[in-house]
Amino acid sequence: MVGGYELTVSAREDVPRWLAYGTPVLTVLGALAVGAVALLALGVDPVAAYGTMFVGTLTSEFGVSQTLLRAVPLALTGLAVYLPLRAGLWNIGAEGQLYLGAIAGTWVGLNVDAPGVVLVPLVLFGGGVAGGLWGLVPGLLRARRGVNEIIVTLMLTFVGVELAGYLVRGPMRGGEGNFPVSAELPAAALLPELGTVHAGVLVALVATVAVRLLITRTTTGYEVVVTGSNADAADTAGVDVEWVYVFVLVAGGALAGLAGAIEIAGLQEKLRPNFSPGYGFTAIPIALLGRRGALRVGLASLFFAVLVVGGSSMELEFGVPAALVEVIQALVILFLITAEFFKRYRIGVERTRETAPVPAGEGS
Amino acid sequence: MPAKLPPGESDAYLRLAGIRKTFPGVVANDDVDLTVRRGEVHALLGENGAGKSTLMKVLYGLYEPDAGTITLDGERLDLDSPQDAIDSGIGMVHQHFMLIPRLTVAENVVLGDRSHAAREFTWPADLTDSLRGLPGAGVGARLASPARARLPDLGRAADRAASLPGVGTVLGAIERGVVGTTNALTLDLSAPSERIREFAAEYGVDVAPDAPVWDLDVGGRQRVEILKTLYRDVELLVLDEPTAVLAPAEAERLFETLRDLADSGITVIFITHKLDEVGAIADRVTVLRDGQRVDTVPVDSVSRDDLARMMVGRDVLFDVDRPPAAVGDPVLAADGLETTDQRGVGVLSGVDLSVRSGEVLGIAGVSGNGQTHLAACLVGVRDPDAGTVTVGGRDRTGAGPRAFLEAGVSYVPEDRVAEATVPDLSVMHNLMLKSYRADSDRGRIDYGAAAARAERLVEEFDIRGVRDVRETPAGDLSGGNLQKLVLARELSRDPDVLVAHQPTRGVDVGAVEFLRSTILDQRASGTGVVLLSEDLDEVFAMSDRIAVISEGRFVAETTPEEADPETVGLWMGGERTPGDAAADRPGATARPDGGGE
Repeated sequence: MVGGYELTVSAREDVPRWLAYGTPVLTVLGALAVGAVALLALGVDPVAAYGTMFVGTLTSEFGVSQTLLRAVPLALTGLAVYLPLRAGLWNIGAEGQLYLGAIAGTWVGLNVDAPGVVLVPLVLFGGGVAGGLWGLVPGLLRARRGVNEIIVTLMLTFVGVELAGYLVRGPMRGGEGNFPVSAELPAAALLPELGTVHAGVLVALVATVAVRLLITRTTTGYEVVVTGSNADAADTAGVDVEWVYVFVLVAGGALAGLAGAIEIAGLQEKLRPNFSPGYGFTAIPIALLGRRGALRVGLASLFFAVLVVGGSSMELEFGVPAALVEVIQALVILFLITAEFFKRYRIGVERTRETAPVPAGEGS
Repeated sequence: MPAKLPPGESDAYLRLAGIRKTFPGVVANDDVDLTVRRGEVHALLGENGAGKSTLMKVLYGLYEPDAGTITLDGERLDLDSPQDAIDSGIGMVHQHFMLIPRLTVAENVVLGDRSHAAREFTWPADLTDSLRGLPGAGVGARLASPARARLPDLGRAADRAASLPGVGTVLGAIERGVVGTTNALTLDLSAPSERIREFAAEYGVDVAPDAPVWDLDVGGRQRVEILKTLYRDVELLVLDEPTAVLAPAEAERLFETLRDLADSGITVIFITHKLDEVGAIADRVTVLRDGQRVDTVPVDSVSRDDLARMMVGRDVLFDVDRPPAAVGDPVLAADGLETTDQRGVGVLSGVDLSVRSGEVLGIAGVSGNGQTHLAACLVGVRDPDAGTVTVGGRDRTGAGPRAFLEAGVSYVPEDRVAEATVPDLSVMHNLMLKSYRADSDRGRIDYGAAAARAERLVEEFDIRGVRDVRETPAGDLSGGNLQKLVLARELSRDPDVLVAHQPTRGVDVGAVEFLRSTILDQRASGTGVVLLSEDLDEVFAMSDRIAVISEGRFVAETTPEEADPETVGLWMGGERTPGDAAADRPGATARPDGGGE
């Protein structure tokens, strides 16, 4: 071979700054680019479709408020995955913790008689406690017995979802007719409105900032991060690793439970089976996309909210199946994994040439 | 700068010329020349961070040099990847082994090598013929005919079909095809295993080919790495600090193997920072310092001191100054410590010791005789099955590492990467690991103050390679500098007790001197030190008292003045002790009851 080009893959010695920080953005752009191929295959102009999805959504008042409302449970469950992830644990069960929070929030709202000023915090508190208890189980099992938290959190999700289904068909069934739904919450239990959104937006914002401060300013946050990077060294340094494991899963569960209570007291106003479109699962790519910081988790949840809301308008306007949104979400994960490769290796194009023998040598 | 070629360099087998490699902010190799002759053992000597590993990674195709050329056996090499290097006959044994523990030795050896791994797959020729003949003959057509293949008749139809002429041939051929495919997809390890046995006989690289790698000790794993290169017909073998993980006896054995390899014509490059090893194994040595080549010399022509000076750039004191101890009250005591490992086998069987403030108790022993458990018990990381640990007069047994830490116990563990540091986090995060609680204000950490403190410690302990204490991950530091970081963290607390396990293992000469004298300074300010080491020079240079550990118990106690290293070395090997070595010392802490049991 005389000429020609070949692709070379070489290990990076150093991750360039732009790559380290630009990964989330590049990931999202890459996912959208591949999504565009799917749109083209469906005979839809991707520019117009993405225009509707993003510009349309973010320029209409309805779109913005819908996005914010969607972002609340996504951000809270995203943090519920993010916090254990910093300690090196995978909380795959934010969905179940969200359901437990919704059940407890509904129960408090229906059974406690108090003015709104007291009742609303009580509803949220109940949701947080229930979600936290749902996280306590995998936390204790992991800390004391070394049981894999991925399996326990995931399995408890099914228990949580089915528990809600049973309750609204049995003990908590309310309302008229024979529908599997709880009674409606009294007005005092509902979240106050802030313009076109509810007060849950504030709660999510406060929670995001609180988790950020926890990680970046406190001894607990330091212990979480150290444990997540090297649990053995943390143990040797006197960090109570078992406590850290229990803490992150309980706190994560509480955040997800809070999301469930907010969803009921802010939007749904009653408990229905399968009320969540999988917020707790979407939370996983959100936490991965934002794993470098809690604020990024917040941003990622906004992005995913736009995807969901914009996806619906895209579906209406262009007849594109909403499943495409899920495809883009999946692509985000795939691109994130790919980005790890690009962080480690450099791809180059090189002109191939024959290795020139050195004239002075003996030759072979 | 052109190479100053000593006479005889024209017969160079490998020549690296003008190699330059920079990383952001660091020149790792600055115009380095290296010439190696065929069949020699060539040592590449230098302190950690001198650029030895970088140079070898360039040679192995892992790094692309910014400038310079590589010539092997007269041919210019253009290495884009390790595969290119392997194809050129270059093999490398890394410091961290690249093995898959679940697989056997033979499986690891053939891994990635496609040429020998799979059996030849041949598509049976008669199958093709039969298939070609089939559709026309109509057997297939009849079987496939929906009219005939009615459901209840299927079984009989198949029987009848098998008896038809031609079908038997087809089935037989298919069977052979399946077997052939299965063989092509599975490994036939008989031939590789045979070769591995041959290597074992020839070079003393003996490991059982079918042993699982997780079952091997470190030395065995290293031999598998060497086997991997031999299996790929290595002509130039590079070993990156191979003895860093080995016990002295294993290192001895490795040297013999390397000698055999060199005698059979394989060229060996041996990266090290240990002067003794250069003398023990190498024919010639190239010394690197700060990324530059200092010189290349035949080993017999230089003294150990010369090499040390070339390597460090100044005179090195091998004997640190140890003023007499100003001994105070006992600060740490252990009584009757017993532990077992995961399988329930006893590790420590009744260890007693006592350390007073201002003295160094050296615990000499071949590694693997219970030192790891002993160190862990003394700092509260492991709870003994029986016995007590007393810190500053208070029984702390079972109180956990935090209580020990707060009682003034500092710990330099054996494995600094796995136990003492968090490699992904910054130097600052690592330096505050033992003090973040004390320095926090009601649960809040002042990272500004932590960074300032980290910068001060980096300065004070001469930790090199730190660009920004908040940004540079500890994992980027070289072994010696990482150990300085650990020591800086542990000593800046001004502890009452320091338990240091192999504090200078894998550390270069300049840093060894620094680490030892720092520990002795700490002793002078009243800290009681327990030093666990298998390096007898270190034990004798540092200790006020020496206890010898073998098979989980102390077999003797002595002092550097009373005993000589040879005797202690024998005790370490489990030799029966005279029994009175410890008995005549008041306050003796070791049980002089012999090492037999």
